[in-house]
Amino acid sequence: MDINVRKRSQVQVVQLKGQLRLGDAVDELQRTIDESMAEGDARFVVNLAEVPMIDSSGIGVLVRFLTSAKKRGGSVKLVNPSSFAQKTLRLVGVLNLFEVYEDDDQAVASFN
Amino acid sequence: MSFEAGAADQPGQVTNTFELRLRGDVHAISAAADSISAKLEQLQVPEEKRMEILLAVQEAFANAVVHGCDNDPSKEVRCCLEQYANGRILIVVSDPGPGYSPQQLPDPMQADHIYQDHGRGIFIIRQLMDDVSFENNGSEIRMWKY
Repeated sequence: MDINVRKRSQVQVVQLKGQLRLGDAVDELQRTIDESMAEGDARFVVNLAEVPMIDSSGIGVLVRFLTSAKKRGGSVKLVNPSSFAQKTLRLVGVLNLFEVYEDDDQAVASFN
Repeated sequence: MSFEAGAADQPGQVTNTFELRLRGDVHAISAAADSISAKLEQLQVPEEKRMEILLAVQEAFANAVVHGCDNDPSKEVRCCLEQYANGRILIVVSDPGPGYSPQQLPDPMQADHIYQDHGRGIFIIRQLMDDVSFENNGSEIRMWKY
């Protein structure tokens, strides 16, 4: 999985590309989150447009990510999840835990 | 490995089979699941159906490796895919573990579980596949896609 992180207006924008599933992908995302949280970041946007599939481990990471960010006064907002990823998140009842936006700009602006 | 379908299903003869084994290592799961997906593509299974089977297989492999093999790479998970004459697909995943009772798993949709970071795998499998059953005390899962 490719993970690209950039900061925009005090919001960390995390761009993911590839399947988010148990193994290297989940490990890498968790490591990225831990590093960013350790630096004090709490406001995140996660772009899922290029994530065709998320498994239960990936869902677990996203939910844990949201919980941690909220505890620090921030949040995690999703951008444009692919149709199957969105279907899976809805299937397990977690899609409505997140605010979902059509693009990064809208998601970043929603923090202000 | 060969598996008989229940009489009520009457799926006809097996037209294609595919078997694989993977070691009890979470880092081996993605490649194994992808090889199942490649086989489904070769069998011309439509994309949406293929994605649903791929995710179910991914979850079944994860359970088998993490719980059935205790993340021990010296242990082995077995998988068999069969396509029947009527197009139905059966996937069986078995592990060397003692098994478990899938009926005792909590409902991940309940409010007090919704923020949990685990416990959704079997639920996802049941939602995506058309018929799911467990054998050998839960150490073997049989998943049908119609």
